[in-house]
Amino acid sequence: MGSYDPSFAKEVFENVDFGDEIKMCMQCGVCAASCPLSLQMDHSPRQIFTLIRAGKREEVLGSQAIMLCTSCYTCEVRCPRKIPVIDVMHGLANYALKHDFVPRKDTANFGGKFWDQIYRIGRIDEKDLSRRYFFAEGIIEGIKGLLGFSDIGLRLFLHKRIKPLPERKIKGIISLRKMLDKAEKMRGRGGASV
Amino acid sequence: MDKNTAVYICTGCSIGDALDIEQLKENGTEDFTISYCKDHPFLCGSEGLDLLNKDIEAEGINTIIIAACSQRVNYDVFNFGPDKIVERVNLREQVAWSQPPKEEDTQMLAEDNLRMGCSKAKDTELPEPFQAEEAYSKDILVVGGGVAGMTAALDTAKAGYQAVIVEKEDRLGGFLAKMKKNVTLPYKELSDTGVEELINSVEEDSRIKVFTSSTVEKVSGAPGLFSVDITSNGDAANERVGAVIQATGWVPYDANKLEHLGYGQFKDVITNVEMEEMAAAGKIVRPSDGKEVKNALFIQCAGSRDSDHLPYCSSVCCLVSLKQATYLKEQNPEALSYVLYKDVRTVGQAEDFYRKAQEDGNVFIRGSVSAVGESGGMLYVEADDELLGEKVKIEELDLVVLAVGMVPRSRPEEVPRVKAPEDEKDADEDGMIEVEQDSGFFANSALNLEYRQGPELPTLQYGFPDSHYICFPYETRRTGIYAAGCVRKPMEIARAKDDATGAAMKAIQCTEATAIGMAVHPRAGDMSYPEFNMQRCTQCKRCTEECPFGAINEDEKANPLPNPTRCRRCSICMGSCPERIISFKNYSVSMIGNMLKAIHVPEEDEEKPRVIALVCENDAYPALDMAGIKRMTWSPYIRFIPVRCLGSINLIWVADALSRGIDGLLLMGCRHGDDYQCHFMKGSELANTRLDKVSETLDRLALESDRVQFVEIGITDYDKIPGIIGEFMEKIEEVGPNPYKGW
Repeated sequence: MGSYDPSFAKEVFENVDFGDEIKMCMQCGVCAASCPLSLQMDHSPRQIFTLIRAGKREEVLGSQAIMLCTSCYTCEVRCPRKIPVIDVMHGLANYALKHDFVPRKDTANFGGKFWDQIYRIGRIDEKDLSRRYFFAEGIIEGIKGLLGFSDIGLRLFLHKRIKPLPERKIKGIISLRKMLDKAEKMRGRGGASV
Repeated sequence: MDKNTAVYICTGCSIGDALDIEQLKENGTEDFTISYCKDHPFLCGSEGLDLLNKDIEAEGINTIIIAACSQRVNYDVFNFGPDKIVERVNLREQVAWSQPPKEEDTQMLAEDNLRMGCSKAKDTELPEPFQAEEAYSKDILVVGGGVAGMTAALDTAKAGYQAVIVEKEDRLGGFLAKMKKNVTLPYKELSDTGVEELINSVEEDSRIKVFTSSTVEKVSGAPGLFSVDITSNGDAANERVGAVIQATGWVPYDANKLEHLGYGQFKDVITNVEMEEMAAAGKIVRPSDGKEVKNALFIQCAGSRDSDHLPYCSSVCCLVSLKQATYLKEQNPEALSYVLYKDVRTVGQAEDFYRKAQEDGNVFIRGSVSAVGESGGMLYVEADDELLGEKVKIEELDLVVLAVGMVPRSRPEEVPRVKAPEDEKDADEDGMIEVEQDSGFFANSALNLEYRQGPELPTLQYGFPDSHYICFPYETRRTGIYAAGCVRKPMEIARAKDDATGAAMKAIQCTEATAIGMAVHPRAGDMSYPEFNMQRCTQCKRCTEECPFGAINEDEKANPLPNPTRCRRCSICMGSCPERIISFKNYSVSMIGNMLKAIHVPEEDEEKPRVIALVCENDAYPALDMAGIKRMTWSPYIRFIPVRCLGSINLIWVADALSRGIDGLLLMGCRHGDDYQCHFMKGSELANTRLDKVSETLDRLALESDRVQFVEIGITDYDKIPGIIGEFMEKIEEVGPNPYKGW
């Protein structure tokens, strides 16, 4: 039998971006029913909120659900209590990573590489991003990973979704970096930056 | 009055296309004394009305038979003043729109309808409104001086009428005066109760007379003529009033029955009422040691929505707990309240206050309590958390508050016992017997009515006074007596105020209508009233027993003593009387009997059966019209006769009809039982009961009991009508033709 412990809820309200919005949740479950990924999640957004209330720190911060949110905004549009569910999920993901919970290492890894590339060239180069992502765990893992996706890669190439030449930097890359630096300093919003 | 009768047939709305009008004029009216019979293509238009008005003027017509659309439409158009009798014959919805045109059977149906109309017009007399010999009072008695009672009295006064409040406590205010704060519109935050202002405005109003420390000893009489005996501080007083509002409020559910939640076992387990009183007195502390409360847990639905205690939801306890959690937050911003709920039911805009309580950081847990206990001087609660899907324990609690529900003050603690009739088998050794629920005896004393059917408003199973919940919520089963506030149903302050206003308006309406001899709802405007031919009364007491509104008292010799101003004109008494001595000027046993006789019954070898449907004009008749409007079709062999209520059906009609060769009778009325829809509460139920006894009549006539059937029809069931009629016609065909044909 678990004891209710309000201290974790307090921690979330005070430290997690948008964490205090959770107070308004009335557990109707519309977010869970709307979420296209809820079947892949170990806890639906609704369950995450109730676990926070009950003080289940390990379960929440160790949950892969908070890393799986794809920001489709369906839940947020539908929430009758107007909770910014996406921001809360990202806030929790950030907070978990900051406290050394890495429930989905590959997701965190992908997010990091994605962010780095935006910072470097101001746009996404799928070839380069997938190379960096797959080889982050070593050469053998990288080859295995690439081979696993070779089918999709080939088809993307044939449909001209992947260009043969490397992408160039965007024009205003210096200004973009300034903006990103400022954003990093403000740390107002979520985003999967590590 | 000497009748000068004319028939007007409208040929618009495809009536003219469906029927041979000349033949209808001739055949439909030949048996009756009619001055003339005219037709017009658009009777409800200005030309048609001109024609009618000119004829009334020039020919001195005073009885007008309009054979056109249903009586439910254009009743305002075909109104020629109180000194004219208007009879409507339905040729549109139930003939032209639901039967094939130019068929022999359609024509016969129209002719029968017109004959019935002519017959009814012949027997109808102009109602003379009842006028009592004594003077009518238009004052309103309000029993109970809480928020509902005070609001009702104030609104009565504002409308220009006198009000009398009788309050049993030594001051006005009721439960509102015991509250610290109130949550009301717009439900954003706590507000003052405003009870002092309310009391002051009542006390300052010269049109309101207030009796405190007083009780109602006796209410005798009838609407407009009530005489009220009041005991005030030991002195007797008497008031004459026109209508009564019962706003006696509620009591909290007895928490002593909630031992499983720790009440009585732990000092720090209290009810929401005790919490409110403590908050109003000052600081919220632990009753055990007087220390300030930091952590509290509210158990919602404590004894509510529970089949062992109160099966219903009181709809206010959620809001009350949210309010009390806010008290705690105001007292100590660090205080934490847990709310253990089944569903948070903050009705309407009160949802905003739920949001506020969430913003304050209170913890809401959905689940049910499994144990309340104490360890180290602090309480703990174990619960099944439904949303977490596991058992949880909430510890370190200073206070546990049980949100108990509301019980109407009318509900007796135990089933009351009354003196049993002499031959009663179930009576105990003192000759006493438990009273039946749903009677005027099953309620705590508040009004002490001098009514044969019991001293209080008849209550439903949970002790709330019976009303017609869907259509007329303020009404009770006693005309001119209205329930308002929490005695009627659990409600919070804002709703109680609305309720009181509604009841006050109803009460005023009643006094005004009664003074001119007019019926109140649902036959508002009806000027007729039941008249008793006392010489033939056999003192069988059926009318006094069966009147759903307790209108008929009884003298020592068991003669019925009618109180016409208590009457709602449902005619249930007329249906109950075996001697058929009760009648109305415009509705009587013989009138419907003659209508039945006006129907032409074809010989057996013509193979055209005849079935009569007696149709409740409140729900079933509009459903029939609706089916006609939707162009549904059904057998042309059925004839519809609207009745005021199925309860007004006298069994003699069944015998009359069958002995004339009618093949079957269909009774179409409202749903009965717990979720009854009968406008007169008991009418369709009584009809059904009486129908059980009809088999005796049928046996006497050596007829099959299948020939008479009762069907329940709601106003929305129009789509089922062709099916119901079809099935019944099949059954009649199976049973075969009535052997009495042609006798």
